[in-house]
Amino acid sequence: MSSTSTPNRGLTKIATNRLQKELLEWQVNPPAGFKHKVTDNLQRWIIEVTGAPGTLYANETYQLQVDFPEHYPMEAPQVIFLPPSPLHAHIYSNGHICLDILYDSWSPAMTVSSICMSILSMLSSSTVKQRPPDNDRYVKNCRNGRSPKDTRWWFHDDKV
Amino acid sequence: MKVKVIQWHAVASWTWDAKDELCAICKLPFDGCCTECKYPGDDCPLVWGACSHPFHLHCIVKWTGTQNRAHCPLCRRDWQIQTETQ
Repeated sequence: MSSTSTPNRGLTKIATNRLQKELLEWQVNPPAGFKHKVTDNLQRWIIEVTGAPGTLYANETYQLQVDFPEHYPMEAPQVIFLPPSPLHAHIYSNGHICLDILYDSWSPAMTVSSICMSILSMLSSSTVKQRPPDNDRYVKNCRNGRSPKDTRWWFHDDKV
Repeated sequence: MKVKVIQWHAVASWTWDAKDELCAICKLPFDGCCTECKYPGDDCPLVWGACSHPFHLHCIVKWTGTQNRAHCPLCRRDWQIQTETQ
């Protein structure tokens, strides 16, 4: 378990520097619909997201937990929804998100802001509130606290 | 009139020929250096991909080193260093 009293312990210099810059940039220009909850822990961000007006998730608020690895941005952060997670065909009830940029398609040019916008766009384009068809099986397999980054994801649907 | 130059003091400035101002990986200016370096210039050079995207050499090498098949962080094309100035 990480402790908030020893923040940034496991981050390289480039990771710390990038995150400080991203935090500063976020404070000046936060992505619309998102609120960063202030803590002293640079390595774990808790972000509140509000569904965009006119979409299925309008006025609903959810929380994202973003954990940065030692070698960020060479490695993607781990991004999950804290329960309760939104009902969406690519979001499992344990908060894991099936979104390629968080895994195979990560690029070090991406930022927390750009991830947030991808997630909001994924929510906004949803036409039906439902769990992925394999939700129960997947969540059962993750019971030992497995990270979504250890899942072998299949990305098959670009539309939602 | 004859002028005798006793001493002259030259001042020069340089800048990288990179259109984007910030390295997309470390988000630091190209005219500065990457996170790990102290001095910009020859100590912390830029490289351009065949796709024409520039990065600090030290930054892109850290990225390509983690990949089996490296892609440009900005356009996802296969990463190859541009060999000739175009």
